[in-house]
Amino acid sequence: MMQILFNGLVTGMLVALPALAVALTFSVLRFANFAIGAMITAGAYLVYTLNVVLGLPLLVSGIVGAALAGALAAAIDLLVFRPLRDRSAVTLMVASMGVSFILENIVRFIAGNTPVGYDVALSRPWRWAGLRINVEQVQALVVCALALLVVWIIFRRSRLGRAMRAIADNAPLAATRGVSRQRVITATWVMSGVLAALSGTLIGLDATIDPQMGWLYALPAFAAAILGGLTHPLAAIPGALVMGVLSEAATLVLPSHYRIMVAFVLMSLLLILRPAGLFGTRWLTR
Amino acid sequence: MTSYLLSLLTIAVIAGVVGLALNIQWGMTGLVNFGLFGFYMVGAYACALLITQLGWAPWQAVLASIVITTVVCALVSLISLRLEDDYFAIVTLAFAESVKLIVNNEEWLTRGSIGIPGIPRPFPSDIGMLLFAMAGLALVFLAFETVSRSPLGRTARALRDDPLVAETVGKNVLGARLRLFALGGTALGIAGCLHAFYYQYIDPTQFNVAMTASAFMLVILAGRGSHRGVLLSSLTVVVLIEGTRFLDDAIPWFAPHQLAALRLILIGLALILLLIYKPEGFGREYRYLHGRGRATGRAAAPAARCRWD
Amino acid sequence: MSAALTVRGLKAGYGGKPILHGIDLDVPAGSALTIVGPNGSGKSTLLKAIVGLVPAQAGEIRLGDTPITRRDAPARSRLGLAYVPQEANIFRNMSVHENLRLGWEFHPAPQSRAPLARKIDEILALFPEIRPHLKTPAGVLSGGQRQMVAVASAMMLEPDLLVLDEPSAGLSPRNAGLLFGIIGRIRRTGLTLLMIEQNVQLGLAAADQGLVLVMGRVRRTAPAAELAADDTLAELFLSLDRPGTHTPNP
Repeated sequence: MMQILFNGLVTGMLVALPALAVALTFSVLRFANFAIGAMITAGAYLVYTLNVVLGLPLLVSGIVGAALAGALAAAIDLLVFRPLRDRSAVTLMVASMGVSFILENIVRFIAGNTPVGYDVALSRPWRWAGLRINVEQVQALVVCALALLVVWIIFRRSRLGRAMRAIADNAPLAATRGVSRQRVITATWVMSGVLAALSGTLIGLDATIDPQMGWLYALPAFAAAILGGLTHPLAAIPGALVMGVLSEAATLVLPSHYRIMVAFVLMSLLLILRPAGLFGTRWLTR
Repeated sequence: MTSYLLSLLTIAVIAGVVGLALNIQWGMTGLVNFGLFGFYMVGAYACALLITQLGWAPWQAVLASIVITTVVCALVSLISLRLEDDYFAIVTLAFAESVKLIVNNEEWLTRGSIGIPGIPRPFPSDIGMLLFAMAGLALVFLAFETVSRSPLGRTARALRDDPLVAETVGKNVLGARLRLFALGGTALGIAGCLHAFYYQYIDPTQFNVAMTASAFMLVILAGRGSHRGVLLSSLTVVVLIEGTRFLDDAIPWFAPHQLAALRLILIGLALILLLIYKPEGFGREYRYLHGRGRATGRAAAPAARCRWD
Repeated sequence: MSAALTVRGLKAGYGGKPILHGIDLDVPAGSALTIVGPNGSGKSTLLKAIVGLVPAQAGEIRLGDTPITRRDAPARSRLGLAYVPQEANIFRNMSVHENLRLGWEFHPAPQSRAPLARKIDEILALFPEIRPHLKTPAGVLSGGQRQMVAVASAMMLEPDLLVLDEPSAGLSPRNAGLLFGIIGRIRRTGLTLLMIEQNVQLGLAAADQGLVLVMGRVRRTAPAAELAADDTLAELFLSLDRPGTHTPNP
């Protein structure tokens, strides 16, 4: 039982990063970014290139790779989403699907379909209080917790965070208060790219990376973000944790390959019953 | 060479049916069906399984698959019709991924990743297959043209352009949406059957989100709501994209997986460029042909505006 | 007297359709100008064009001596232009304190201005009603309190020109009176004001000059007291503000 809780926590944390990325871009830009999966993949492969191809230590590769992924996300915004800025959410959504195709297949074109792994030493799992704990799981927990903490501080406490929330709340008013939308949007994309790359790397640490990997995490990320309530970005974190634990728990009664489906069913149920999200207090629009 | 041409045309015709389905769901009604490939997969699998497992005659299987896909579409839309665009897209996509997951894992029923081989065609020859597919396309096209001109079609466009106004003038919003989404499902069922017959072998890897993306590309290129446009765009796009498959042998410096990746990059690129530079597409929606359109909504951008202003 | 705002030949509108057909107006520094006119005459569009939310199609806008026609809204706000829209004029999901802070922190030259806490104190002296609610999300306040938060957070910009779009809209007569009391006090500090007011008498009483805008053109400019006493103005409104000519403000 504790093992399930722990595994669920780790899965939830891994999903929390892209879920937060989705929720952040949604709150500032008002559209669901379907390229999040490809951004996870691209980030994981950027780190792979630095780590395995160039032979840098994993920590350095992770930091540099995440930064590159942030820059990549900003570049995508400049090339694709900026020309589409004031168009409908559906247009942006379809465009993000196009971005997803391009990114994923550039990876496939260069790296091929074969799964690859990072250059890390294999280690034995620890046993503690009856739990089986992998070193990778601990790393994932620590990195995720740190990343989430940083995003939380930025979002709730910093000038950039206030600007992001102001634009999410009332973009024209924010403009007349001196908040420059383009800068905030760029910053949001950078954060989103970094979060995606971190999760991609951590997923790769636990298993392998391949061009499909991000896609498998994209929908759980959406489900988690919706569970939290898309309009409250930080609520995506508990959303992801709840989902992680519940889908691990579901393996008690269901075959384990249906884990993802639990997330979908949960999400659909929630959308029908509580469209504002599990934790979302009502978003004030009046 | 003729067989190349025949298969190219058949693929284009099937893509045309899929395009028409999305055109009525998204183009006309505004329902963002990102899970298109899931419904298509339901149609293909229903058809293949009824024939190979239960020994039904092809025409029985086709009819049954169409009914099944339509009902599934109606059920999925029942739970998600009240949702906003983003959520609708996510829920339909989640549905499609779930279908794929089930097909992959319920091996007793679907044979999982091994796939279903030996699906017999109703008309064994290539030309027979093409004619059969064209008959399906013609049927869907005529039916949809009729629907477009019916009160239901007008309601749909009014809903897409301004749900609030349509609701206040007393249109049955959910009912109209449900019927049109299910109608799209009927077309997807037909397309699924054609797919199963054409390839004679299906497995889960044939169905993925690339299908959804290319369908969106077809509809945007066609001009949202224009059924004729979809016929034209599916023919040109499929010939252009699938045509490159036949060039694969002539390009020795890329591996097959790289060529496959390039094709998908091309789809993504075309989608984005279209959205940026030609969002209104090349065709005209029925009402614009008759010059009584209203320039609302994003997709009705410049082409519509210059007619109205 | 130098001009705080100068508008010459301004044409603006949405999607190619001009709503304003060549507007000229001047607001001398330290004065207050109230724009009146029937619904749909383009008053709100004029203010939006001045603050940079609607692009100008022709003409020139100068803030002091600085041409601002080609600058975006954030740049205009940094030059000392503060705006309170008619609706959606607060960040509803942020606390009152954060609303105030947002007005202050994207201002230029942070080193030369007052520290946040002192500035907030200074502004709250004008708006004592909202002081107890600093930690409350602005969206849950009453209509009158929200309007105060809106004006207060615009004042946090330390503007040279304050632009108000129908400050009394949706307020009870008591709250409207309260708000105009504060606007009067703001005006006495020497701040230049430009406002639209549907309550013509209230709006003109708070201004030096009045401007009548009809169908996107300036019909008349006159001292506020003179306009307020003019009976033909009321007729103008009655003849133009029939149902059917009414259009909601976008």
